[in-house]
Formats: sequence, structure tokens, C-alpha cells
Amino acid sequence: MADADLDFQTGDAGASATFPMQCSALRKNGFVVLKGRPCKIVEMSTSKTGKHGHAKVHMIGIDIFSGKKHEDICPSTHNMDVPNIKRNDYQLIGIQDGYLSLLQDSGEVREDLRLPEGELGKEMESKYEAGEEMLITVLSAMNEECAVAIKAMTK
Amino acid sequence: MMAAVGAGEVITQLESAAKVLMAPPSMVSNEQRQHAEHIFLSFRKSKSPFAICKHILETSKVDYVLFQAATAIMEAVVREWILLEKSSIESLRTFLLTYVLQRPNLQKYVREQILLAVAVIVKRGSLDKSIDCKGIFHEVSQLISSGNPTVQTLACSILTALLSEFSSSSKTSNIGLSMEFHGSCKRLFQEDDLRQIFMLTVEVLQEFSRRENMNAQMSSVFQRYLALANQVLSWNFLPPNLGRHYIAMFESSQNVMLKPTESWRETFLDSRVMELFFTVHRKIREDSDMAQDSLQCLAQLASMHGPVFPDESAQVNYLARLVEGLLSMINGIEIEDSEAVGISNIISNLITMFPRSNLTAIPSELFNSFVNCLTHLTCSFGRSAALEEVLDKDDMVYMEAYDKLLESWLTLVQDVKHFHKGFFIQHAVQVFNSYIQCHLAAPEGTRNLTANGVASCEEEEEEINELQEDDRELFSDQLASIGMLGRIAADHCIPLLTSLLEDRVTRLHGQLQRHQQHLLASPGSGSVDNKVLDELYEDIHWLILVTGCLLADETQGETPLIPPEIMEYSIKHSTEVDINTTLQVLGSPGEKASSIPGCNRTDSAIRLLSSVLRTSEVESRATRANLTDLLSPQMGKDIVWFLKRWSKTYLLVDEKLYDQISIPFSAAFGADTEGAQWIVGYILEKVINNLSVWSSEPDLANDTVELLVTLVERRERANVVIQCENWWNLAKQFANRTPPLHSLSGSVQRTLMKALVLGGFAHMDSEAKQQYWTEVLQPLQQRFMNVINQENFQQICQEEEVKQEIIATLEALCGIAEATQIDNVVILFNFLMDFLNNCIGLMEIYKNTPETVNLIIEVFVEVAHKQICYLGESKSMKLYEACLTLLQVYSKNNLGRKRVDMSAEEDQYQDLLLIMELLTNLLSKEFIDFSDTDEVFRGQEPGQAADRSVSAADVVLYGVNIVLPLMSQDLLKFPSLCNQYYKLITFICEIFPEKIPQLPDDLFKSLMFSLELGMTSMSSEVSQLCLEALTPLAEQCAKAQETESPLFAATRHFLKLVFDMLVLQKHNTEMTVAAGEALYTLVCLHQAEYSELVESLLSSQQDPVIYQRLADAFNKLTASSSPPTLDRKQKMAFLKSLEEFVATVGGLLCVK
Repeated sequence: MADADLDFQTGDAGASATFPMQCSALRKNGFVVLKGRPCKIVEMSTSKTGKHGHAKVHMIGIDIFSGKKHEDICPSTHNMDVPNIKRNDYQLIGIQDGYLSLLQDSGEVREDLRLPEGELGKEMESKYEAGEEMLITVLSAMNEECAVAIKAMTK
Repeated sequence: MMAAVGAGEVITQLESAAKVLMAPPSMVSNEQRQHAEHIFLSFRKSKSPFAICKHILETSKVDYVLFQAATAIMEAVVREWILLEKSSIESLRTFLLTYVLQRPNLQKYVREQILLAVAVIVKRGSLDKSIDCKGIFHEVSQLISSGNPTVQTLACSILTALLSEFSSSSKTSNIGLSMEFHGSCKRLFQEDDLRQIFMLTVEVLQEFSRRENMNAQMSSVFQRYLALANQVLSWNFLPPNLGRHYIAMFESSQNVMLKPTESWRETFLDSRVMELFFTVHRKIREDSDMAQDSLQCLAQLASMHGPVFPDESAQVNYLARLVEGLLSMINGIEIEDSEAVGISNIISNLITMFPRSNLTAIPSELFNSFVNCLTHLTCSFGRSAALEEVLDKDDMVYMEAYDKLLESWLTLVQDVKHFHKGFFIQHAVQVFNSYIQCHLAAPEGTRNLTANGVASCEEEEEEINELQEDDRELFSDQLASIGMLGRIAADHCIPLLTSLLEDRVTRLHGQLQRHQQHLLASPGSGSVDNKVLDELYEDIHWLILVTGCLLADETQGETPLIPPEIMEYSIKHSTEVDINTTLQVLGSPGEKASSIPGCNRTDSAIRLLSSVLRTSEVESRATRANLTDLLSPQMGKDIVWFLKRWSKTYLLVDEKLYDQISIPFSAAFGADTEGAQWIVGYILEKVINNLSVWSSEPDLANDTVELLVTLVERRERANVVIQCENWWNLAKQFANRTPPLHSLSGSVQRTLMKALVLGGFAHMDSEAKQQYWTEVLQPLQQRFMNVINQENFQQICQEEEVKQEIIATLEALCGIAEATQIDNVVILFNFLMDFLNNCIGLMEIYKNTPETVNLIIEVFVEVAHKQICYLGESKSMKLYEACLTLLQVYSKNNLGRKRVDMSAEEDQYQDLLLIMELLTNLLSKEFIDFSDTDEVFRGQEPGQAADRSVSAADVVLYGVNIVLPLMSQDLLKFPSLCNQYYKLITFICEIFPEKIPQLPDDLFKSLMFSLELGMTSMSSEVSQLCLEALTPLAEQCAKAQETESPLFAATRHFLKLVFDMLVLQKHNTEMTVAAGEALYTLVCLHQAEYSELVESLLSSQQDPVIYQRLADAFNKLTASSSPPTLDRKQKMAFLKSLEEFVATVGGLLCVK
């Protein structure tokens, strides 16, 4: 499935980290920047001040990296920043000193990603040691990256 | 625990357990508490505990232990009924009654429990006629005549206990008896014993009502008997011959109306009975608790109907007495707050239950006074309700009473033909005026004024949540009544609304202009005071709501007609009307109507419409002048709501539907008129303007696109719409995804797309049609293809811009599917099918982007939901195949995937829910199918697809195969997911039982495991679903006659499960039928195993008496069906015996 095109090493060369969007066009399950952090919107509701007031949007988001909850309320005409979110699958080819070795589509290997803490990290280690081949999903947004999922490779 | 062995010991043990249970939580541990609870539970389950219980009752001093002893007796009597001698039951009952009589100082809860036991014995006894109820009544009447308040209270408690035990099957103690049993007990009771209770109660009330000066104790006895009388009058009389299913339905109905059987005639038609309750109320009306009961008694009497009346004249007489009594009760008193609801209930019941012919048959003077009184009360309650709102009271008694009375008006005037013409006009004017007055600001109105006319303190800017309903829904009933009254008095109300609305709009216009000048003079100066504006907005809000409800009805589906009153009103005045002036007023929303020469010769209904259009125009102009910040989105909603409601009824009025039509109406908005074209153009412009300036107001944007859908959903209207250039501009603008339309929320974009598609089915020449699709649908396809066919799509697909484009396309596809109708399904299906195939590719590309995956599945759900029922065989096949591939891709990408991010579980839950919805939609083809073997597609296809490669069953089973491994126990904790899942499984077993044995081994096993899990450890709803799934499976086995198959083995296992469930465990009686059917089919299949189960159960019984009873019961159970065969008649016989079986021995077996 990998049609390695060497001219395009990564697609995000010129893409900015965020882009603006009118508050009312945001959607639940979408993403937004709250308190400077990229968040997934888990709850959205509208309210207004008085019967003839204008709508305000109340959002609860969860930081996609730390899992911390953030909230914000703002007039629905305002623009909010939406983070550019990317998810890439890489094949895991090694684990060294708490870092993952990942094979990119381009054939290059990147070794700058930490083995995640907790259960997922342990599972990566044990599966790797057992010789299972797997894909690691790396989530990136606003210059931050993190391995968030594994998937056994279909033979 | 026999009385002989250490009765004292048992009592000590129970008493110390009671101490633990009664101790404060901090003093005892959880284990201690559980242990204590266990002691009582097993005590209550002990065999024949009568002697020890009597002993406890006589010796123990601990109330809680006494309570438990009473409970134990009650449960044991029912359980062991068939083992007990009639005489010992008799003496037990006497013992309990005497016990209570001799101990006037018992704790209330102990006494009530003992009386409950008595009531249960009486009821159970009425089944075999062994216990005579009459004895009890004799004893009770003696107690009452004792004159001793304590004893009288006790008598009342006995009667209450009997009454509630017999009253319904839901309130009664669960004694494991069938609905039929409860039903026949109730019927016997209501013919005789109930009347005895009522007569005793009436005597007591009569006695008391004659007394002056009651002391507190006597008054409390009085209150109890009054409550008892209310209970009798609220008795839900069970008609003869009502099946079990209906009994449950019947009894679940709230607000029981009094419909006594014929045998009550003498009692209720005795004028002293009704008089008594009026007298009683007069006596106690200042006591708010008692007043509620006495008014409720009167309300029940006011609802009386049915065979109790021998003929119409009896009914009229009764009604006349009732109205007379009511008027003399109300006249000359100041109504207490606590009386408002009760009084309005009496009136409402009376108007609802007595036919109009009765009302007109009572003396006309009396009827006139009644209607005057009703008018007066309505206006007065309305004002008090408004005060309640100002004071923000929690308990809105006047609002409730006002609602009731307005509802009564609606009922009363709906059959106007019974009354002479114009009878209600003056009353309607009064009620209408007072409603308007309460909703307008001072000086004309009284909104937000307190009782003494002072404006209530500055309303704080309170936050209004999205969950709060709009006034038009919150007060829809009130508005419907006021609208109806407004029509009756159209001559007064229409001009009134017009002048009020014109006045407010003129003031709004002026106010906005002043703001604008202020802003121009000093730009950037601080915020302006919006108080005046807000008052105007609120006035306009209510005026538009009332206008909308007056001019048109809300209907669903069918075409609403112009209300006849409005039509007549317009026709009546048409000679005074000048058509040209009318059209000019209508067509000039930019001007004040009064500035148009000759404006007094405008059709009044049209002028009222034009005052709303004027409001709309002032709003639009303000947005163009950049004053949007000052406007009220609420008013914006009101305007589009009105336009939608009005358009449905009046726009392009179909003259064929009316006997007579108003000339101004047909000239202004009839088919092929300039007026209609103009209005369509105007509304379209409004919609476009709203979508651009109000994109940030979700509710308003939503109401606006709904208005657009209304314009195009009927072809006649759509034909006019597509002639407007603006419509084509809107289509182009949307297709280009340019601002502002693309900043609308997803759901609004969907509905907009739906409207655009619907518009495409208007009548156009083929060239125009071609052009339309070129501009509406093709750009969507083009843009989509351009995006996904880019060479580097793989690389750029994660870029937000690309993702947004894809999401917008997916939303649009859902909108297209929503627009499906039988006459456009051909085009839309073919168009969507191309996309569906591409969507599967997207599923692969976006496999790790859950929000996109979710939306892709949703597109399939929508297409299946809206289209599958119209598709013929070969088209369905295409859709099945696409769905199958989608599921395969999903499964491939998600099996073995593990995510740790925060929303992983939630995302997966949503995916699975959608997949199950998709599968259920596909299955629905099996029972809802409008397709006529590709009738709609005829001529479309080059030869039928001959090979039936995929069937719905295959797709659905494959889907289940995917869903099952992903369905963790954790996910089943989401109730909606759990229910959907089990619904699907049951569907499959019912529709394709023959497919089940062919399933792959793993799938088969997990399916069976799911069924077992659902049957044994989920909610009773799920459990019932699983039981329902068993019958078709067992039948399938019987048909196949393969005793080696895994399904055959599985059914054997289920036989044991169902057997245990029915026979050994306490189960919900509602489940007996489903479980019984399953059991019967399973028994047919595994007769030998069933006999073994019965044998082993019997052999475990020690007690020879019980053994014999059980053996008899089992014999009886299968007597009518041996050997058991899958014959419907036999099955029904089995079910009948099963009920008896559960009733007679069910209790015996549950004993530990």
C-alpha cells in the first residue's frame, strides 16, 4: 500500500499548526484548541444570555495528548483555532532505550519517539519481543507527537 | 425454624438482627448489616412459620420484628395456600384482626403490614370462595359506630388496605397470580364490596359534616375517610370481558374517569351523595390538604359516564345538579390558591365527559352562568399564572389550572354547531384579550408586573440553556387554545393583533434607527441600553406566536387547511375590500401599511400577514445596516417559524379543497398569481439572508432551512421556487462551498442539501433539469473526484483542508439520502451508489481517523434507512454488496487494534452502534418492502442480475460476525448499545433461523453465549428478547431433525435454563408468556430431558405432601399436550396450564 514517493517526504511541509473556524461550525468529536492545547470536543452545548440574547457555545474538550479536560465558553460568532491533526501508521522495527524505531513509508527509520508509558507501552514491548509484527499509529498536532495505538499487521 | 425448637432462641436472634439494621450506619459494618438482612430473608422463607409468627407477635416488643413476622405470615399463606386447611386460614385471619384491635398503640407501619396480610388473605380466598368478605364488613361497621376516633381510624385502615389490594394488579402485593385472577377478583369486588365500603364512608362523612367544632383528632379521622372516598371514586372500574393484555394497558392509564357499572346506579344518582361532597368541601376548603381530596372527589363525580345513567334525561339532570352545585360553591367566595387546580379539574372533566347535547339541554340560564363563570375563572387564573411567573414560583398552581381551563375551552368550542351562532364570541374576546394583556409590556399590558401594578425588580440576565424549550413548544397547548378562541372572535382579534404588531414594529424600526444614528455619530462608543429593545422583542415574540396559531394549524404530513373561521371571515368582508390595495399592502413590507393610500380597504387576514412580513423586513434591513448585534435571534426564529406555518396552509392555496374560497386569498396567493410568486421570492431572499447573517445561531439557522424544505417539499411550491434566480444562486453558492454557507453546522448543511435535491424534482423542461443537476449534484461529485483522485491523495489526506472537504461531502451525501422519495429514488440511488463505492476506499485511507470513519458509516446507515424499502432485488444486491465490503474493511482495520487515547471507547461505541443500526436497517427489508420487483427501475437495467450472490441474511450475519468480537462486556454497559445488539440478535433468530446452524463455529458459539448472557444477567427487556429468540431456534431444530447439530445441543442446554428460570426462580410475571412459549417448544424437542428434569426435581422433595402436590401439578401441566407437538392449539393449552402451575406451586419451589 505504500507507494513511496521520495519527493514527498512528509505532507505537512507548509501546513500551519492550526486554522480558524467559526465556533458554530465546530462539531462534537471534532478538534479545537482550548487553553493553548489541542483537544477533542467531547461535549458542546449552546446557551444565551436572556431570551433575546445571542448564542454562546460551551465546549468541553479533552487534551489529545495528556487527557486533561479543558472548558471554554464563547460567542458563537467567534473564530476558534482548530488544530491540524495527523495520524500516521508506521511499522515497528525496534525498541531501544525507551525509544521506538519506526519504519516510514519513505524507507527511512525514525527513532525519536518515546515508548509510551503504561499498558500500551508494555504491550508494544512484549509483542515486539514475541516477534509479532505490528503497526504503530502516531498522532501529531501542534508540534507534538505521541504513539497512541497498535495494530497487528495483517499477513 | 420450628416453633417447638427454641422459639425463644429465634426471637432473640431476630431481635438482635433488628438492632443491627436499625443502628446508625456508623455503628455497624456492611457485613453485619448484610448478615442481619439475610437472617430476616431466610426467616421469611421458612416453612409454615405460622406458630412462631403468632408467638413473636404476642411476645416481642421490637416493632421491626413484628413487621417482619407479619410479612412472613403474608408470604407463607400465599405460598402454602394449597397445603393449608381452610379453617386454619380462617382462624389466622381472625387472629390478625383481633391482634390489631387489641393493640391500638401499635406502630403505624406494623399495623398497616398486618392489615395488608389480612387483605391478601381475603383476596386469595376470594379465588376459591373459601373466605367470606362479608364478615369483615360487619366487624368494620361496628368499629365505626363505636364513636371512638382511634377505633374509627383503624376501621378506615382496614378498608383502605382491602381497597388497594383489590384495586389493581400493579399496586397489589406480588402474590404470584395471573392477571386474569386479579381481574376476576376485581370484578367481583367492585360489584359488591366496593359499594359497601363507599356506603360506610359516606355515612361517616355525613355524620362528620353535621358536626360543629371538630377537634384535631376528629378532623384527622374525617380526613382519612375523605381520602378513602376519593380512592373509591377514582376506582378504575374494570369492564366485563377484558383480556389479560388489555387489563394491564387499562390499568396503566392515568387520570381515571369514573365509569361505574350499572349496579351503582342507585348509589350515584342519589342526589344526596353529590350534595354531600359539595357540603364537605365548603366545610373544609380552608384546609389545603383536605380541600384537595374533596375537590378531587367532585372532579371524579364530574367525570361520571357510562351505563350508570339509564337514559339521557338522567344524565342531563345529573349534569344540571352538578353545574348548579359548582356555581353556588364558587360564587361569592375568594378562591384559595389550593383550590385553583381542583376547581379547574371539575370543569375540565365535566366539559370533556358530558356530550354537547347534554350541555345544551340544561336550563339555558344555568348554562349561560356556567360559561360566564368559566370565562371569569379563565381570565383570573391567567392573570394569577402570570404573577406566578413574575415571582418565579416553584409550584405553579395557577399555571396548571389555566392550562386545564384553556384546554376545556378548546374542547367546548370545537363543536360550535351545537350552540347558536356567535354564542361564544364575547367570551372568546375576553379570554383572548386577557391573554394578550398578560403577555405585553406596560402600559397596555401587564407583563412582569406584580399584583399591585409595580414593575418587578430588574430581571437579571439569566443564562438560558439549549435544553430549555422554545415558548412555542412549551406553551403550544395554550397557544392552540388562544388561537382557536381568536378565530371564533376573528372580527375583534385579527384587527387587534394587526394594530398591536404594526405599532410594535414601527417602534422597533424607530428604536433601531436611533441606535444606528447614535453609532454613526460616535462610533465605538460603549454598549447601548437594550432594555427598550428587549421589551419590544418580547412583545413581538408573543404577538407572532399568537398570530401564527390563529391563522394556521400545525399538522404533520397532511396538508393543513385554512381554518374555516378565517376563510369565512375573509369572505364576509370581501365586499369592503379592494384587491389592488390589498396586493399593494402585501407587496410593500418596506413601508408602513398605514402609509399606503386606502389601506383600510385591505383584507384583514392579509394585512395581519403583511405585518409579520414587515417585521421580517425591518429585521433584514437592520442586518444590512450592520445592526445584527442589536437584533434578537429569538425574533428571527419566530419570523421563520411563522412563515413556515403560514406557507404550508396558504401558499398556492388549492381551491379544490374548499367549498368556497375568499377572493382576496386566491388573488393574493393562489396558483399562477403574481402574489404567490412574489411571496416565494421574498421568503427565499429571507432564507438566503438568514443563512448568511445568522450562521452562528444554530436554532435559527435550523428553523430557516426547515422553512426552505417546506417551500420545496410539495411539487406545486417547488415549481414556483425554481423559477427564482435566487434559488439557482443558492444552489451554486452551496456547491462552491464558499462562505458563509460552509460555516453552517453539519446538520444545517445536511438539511440544506436535502432541500436543494427536493427542489430538483420540480417540474422543469429537460434542458433546465439537466442544467439543475449540473449545478447542484455534479459539482459535488466533481469536487469529490478531484480530491480523491489526486496522485498524492495518500499523503495529503490528513491535511485539515482535505479532511474538511471530505467531511462536507459526506454530510451532503446524508442530506441527499434524506431527500429520498418514491419518485426520485431511481436517480438518487444511482447517484449515491457511485459515492458509496468510493467511500469504501476512503474507509481504508482514513482507517485511523475515527471521526471520519464514523461519518462514512453514517452515510451507509442513511442510504439503507431511506432507500432499501424501495429497492428491487438487483439494486438491493448492490447495496448489500457495498455494505458487506464496508464491513469487511472496517473489520480488517479494527481487529487487533488497540488504542489508548481518551475517546477510544466512545468512538468504538459510536461505530458499533451505527453498524448495528445499519444491519437493522438492512434487515427491515424483510418486513417493509415497497419495491415492486424493480418496478421503479424498469428500463434502467440491461437484464436482471441473475445470480443472487448476496442476501440480506449474509450481510447481516457477516456484520454480526464483525460486531461480536468487538462487543466487549464493557461496551454492553452502554444501555442503548446493549438493547440495539439484542434486538438485532433476536431479529436474526426470528427471520433467518435456518441460517443459524450454518454459522461458523466461533460465531455460533458466541451467539449462543450472548443469548445465555442476555437471558440470565441483563435487564428484563433484554431477557425477554432472548427468550423470544429461543422459540424459532427450537422450531428450526425440530424441522431439521438433526440430533447431532450443535444447535440441537445448545437447545438442550437452554431447556434447563428456561426450566430453572420458570420453575425455580422468582421471575417477572410479564416474562411468563415468552418463557412459556420457549419452554414448550424446547420440551417438544427434548421430551426425555424434560422428564429427567422433572424427575430429579421431584426426587429432591422430602415432604411427601409437597411431593404429591408437585407431581400432580406437573402432570396437569402437560396433560393437555401429551405427547407435546408443535401445534398451536396445544401450545396455547400449555401456556394456560403453565399460568395455573406457576400460581399454585410456583411459590412452593422458590422456598429455600
